[in-house]
Amino acid sequence: MILELLAGNLIHGLLLGCVYGLSTMGLSLIFGVLKVINVGHGPFIMVGAFVTLAMVTIFGTAPPVAIPAALVVGMALGFAFFYTVMRRLIKAPEFTTLLVTFAIGILLQEVVKFTFGAEYRGYNWEVGKIILTITTIPMTKVYASIGSIIIALLLYLWFNKTRIGTAVRAVVEDSEGARVCGVNVDRIYALSFAIAIGLTVMSGVFLTMFIPVGINPYMGGVYTLKAFVIAVLGGLTSPYGAFFAGLIFGLIENGAYVLFAQIPGVAPFSLTVSLAFWMLFLLLLIKPTGLLGAK
Amino acid sequence: MALLRLENITKRFGGLVAVNDVSLEIEAGESIGIVGPNGSGKTTLYNVISGVYPPEQGRIFFEGKDITNLPAHRRAPMGIGRTFQIPRPFSSASVRENVAVGAMFGTLSGKVSVDECSEIAEHYIELVGLQAHKDKDSGTLTPVEKKLMEIARALAMKPKLLLMDEAMAGMHPRDIDDMVKFLKKIKEDEDITIVSMVEHIMRAVAGFAERVMVMYRGAKLIDAPTAKALSDPRVIDVYLGRPTGEGEDAEG
Amino acid sequence: MKINIAKYYPLIPVYAVYLTMFLVGFFVPGLWQLVALLAFYCALGQSWNIFMGMTGYVDFGYVTFIALGTYGMALGITYFSQFPGLGIAIIFIGLLLALFLSTLSAILEAGIALRLRGAYFAIACIGINEGLRHLIEGAKIWGGSEGMLYWKELTEVFGTETAIQLTTLWADIAVFIIAAMAAFINVYYMRSKIGYALTAIREDEDAAKVMGIDTTKYKTIAFLTSGWLGALVGAMAWGLKLTHVFPADVFVIHYTVECIVIVVLGGIGTLLGPLVGGLIYGLSKYWLAIILPGFQLLIFAPIIICIIIAFPEGVIGVVKRRVKGTRLERYII
Ligand SMILES: Nc1ncnc2c1ncn2[C@@H]1O[C@H](COP(=O)(O)OP(=O)(O)O)[C@@H](O)[C@H]1O
Ligand SMILES: [Mg+2]
Repeated sequence: MILELLAGNLIHGLLLGCVYGLSTMGLSLIFGVLKVINVGHGPFIMVGAFVTLAMVTIFGTAPPVAIPAALVVGMALGFAFFYTVMRRLIKAPEFTTLLVTFAIGILLQEVVKFTFGAEYRGYNWEVGKIILTITTIPMTKVYASIGSIIIALLLYLWFNKTRIGTAVRAVVEDSEGARVCGVNVDRIYALSFAIAIGLTVMSGVFLTMFIPVGINPYMGGVYTLKAFVIAVLGGLTSPYGAFFAGLIFGLIENGAYVLFAQIPGVAPFSLTVSLAFWMLFLLLLIKPTGLLGAK
Repeated sequence: MALLRLENITKRFGGLVAVNDVSLEIEAGESIGIVGPNGSGKTTLYNVISGVYPPEQGRIFFEGKDITNLPAHRRAPMGIGRTFQIPRPFSSASVRENVAVGAMFGTLSGKVSVDECSEIAEHYIELVGLQAHKDKDSGTLTPVEKKLMEIARALAMKPKLLLMDEAMAGMHPRDIDDMVKFLKKIKEDEDITIVSMVEHIMRAVAGFAERVMVMYRGAKLIDAPTAKALSDPRVIDVYLGRPTGEGEDAEG
Repeated sequence: MKINIAKYYPLIPVYAVYLTMFLVGFFVPGLWQLVALLAFYCALGQSWNIFMGMTGYVDFGYVTFIALGTYGMALGITYFSQFPGLGIAIIFIGLLLALFLSTLSAILEAGIALRLRGAYFAIACIGINEGLRHLIEGAKIWGGSEGMLYWKELTEVFGTETAIQLTTLWADIAVFIIAAMAAFINVYYMRSKIGYALTAIREDEDAAKVMGIDTTKYKTIAFLTSGWLGALVGAMAWGLKLTHVFPADVFVIHYTVECIVIVVLGGIGTLLGPLVGGLIYGLSKYWLAIILPGFQLLIFAPIIICIIIAFPEGVIGVVKRRVKGTRLERYII
């Protein structure tokens, strides 16, 4: 019985893990390239959720159609914030980048709040489900995971098969070295930041396909924190590390929930979240560069 | 008993062997020059001695005590002081505060008050000739001034062994002569053993060191009295590539 | 040992401002709440500055200390109110518990997080904060997410009259005292070996080690001091004043960010900075809440971004440069 429950939940965890993975790739990319932790990461996911909401409720499209819109919005925000703010903070002390990215997150939240209001919203999109003996999986979740994998693969191809992708990797490795080799590092910074934000906003679209309720301006915070755990698990500078770490995180989160739910007198959901952070903590203790990290 | 004894020190960075099986004994009161082309492992050897990272192999003894696994901050109070090839001032602090840090945490650690450290700092700042800059933020000094400040900071530690990493690179030949005289005098006055590492500036090595160790590709090539070491044909081959560099300098 | 009084001159302007604030709040009717709020921000800034200002490490989880301090006071009042005759001692027990809990978490963090640098340190601290919060909620420790309410206990021990006095007046006065203490400790550290060590660590940690500085030891000293002061502020300004605590209200990263904003606005690593920053931040927040309720954050966020980019050294940082070489220099650090 419990094993079935566990197996069923692990399937959901794996599917959600794909979305988690995608949602963290942007964080890792920004850290890898700019050496900045984007503490305002979650609010960009929230922006993706609202892009979806707008597409679904205003234009009546299916949620996945919001993906191109999310990419455009995300990259536009990325370029805008890069050229107005981030560009000036490349070599700045840590507290400034932490503070500024946090402030950017707050700005996004507030702007969205004044545009859409603070209440919880959601949408309804049903396209059938897969019924297994142990669990039932809505097709929306399957689409969201497949979409995440496709985008992650596209990023992989871009990184490895294009000149500019190679340049980005060079900058992650050693920005000074790359500059010496003739890479226009400043353009790479801008582009990577924009792409990272684009990825993050797109992951927000898939996230709503997973959990189509609870869309509100402050939903991002919890994803910032999850993304930290996942990013560290994945080695912090590696977007693919982040993707696979997302899978692991989805599995652990959903598996642990089932187990905690067996303990009487506790709140299993909170315990699961707590576990994630103790995991992070232990991880940093044992191997600060991440389990899947290179060195 | 040697002041410092290195036994078969090896330090690798990934596949690169930066220091390869180097053994060395330094007696109290000696002045030694370590020379070798860029990348031959001199700075790495210093880092291993001062405890920046442990060696993969080998042991380090200071005054007979095995310090191989001692953290860096425990070595300084024993009497190992150093300067850095690329100066590392505590930029936002004044020159006086920088040098006072040396006095505070060096061999006098725990024996002197903050105010006394300030006085000690003044003394060494004057010795190296930076008194005009003592209240400036150290980050605003010129590279050569930073090097002088680092010498003052290291001397304020009252070290038994002073490791200087290209402290004279970038200086005028005239200033180098002054510096050599200064170091000789300091060595007498303060009773410290100076390992001066100089690269390319043969004038300084020849003028200062009694003994020279030549490093090449991480290994010890020659270890001999200065005159003998510097006239060794191998030195001319591998290290200089030309007979005697006069007052030339190069940042490595 | 002779004490050099001149070293403590910079405290004069600090204490003058605190005294003025206190007198204004005490004698001008209707201003006490505002002054108490300002004192709260200044005290937090001052406490936090000891660690971040002096070491350059950004402890994003600083609010953990404030939160645990609040819990310390809550536990003190809730459990020790059952012992008759303790009277005012339960408040001091609350403070001790606040120190105890914050010490535990500081040890945990210092043992692990202080080994890390930069990004990893910031993330680890956030992790501890969230981990604790959700552990309390999940394992239903100390009332779990329902929190603790102890106004009843407080009135049982002191009677309603005194309880009101304690929560509306003495809790705030205590915050002033903590702020003054924090300022003193800050100067004391700056003028001692600790200050030199921390400056060296902030500027170049590896070089500091080679110069003989036990970096872990000094970072831990600053971390603990800063954490203790934060816990005391939490115990008084939240624990005693509000007489309730909920994990979702106290383990909130926003408060850490407020601390950073205060310190950075005023001038990071300076003594007067947190005070000036606390005043600017507190007053403008208060004022914006009156003239544009609901819009504060929308306005604040871009302003903060601009200020940080344009004036990373903060108000006192700029002033300090201006007064360098003048007679004011010895008073402003
Ligand atoms: N921290 C490090 N990581 C990787 N390689 C290093 C590091 N430090 C030094 N090296 C390498 O070790 C070799 C020796 O360097 P170094 O000791 O600085 O030489 P020298 O001081 O004689 O010029 C060089 O090839 C250098 O690139
Ligand atoms: Mg070198």
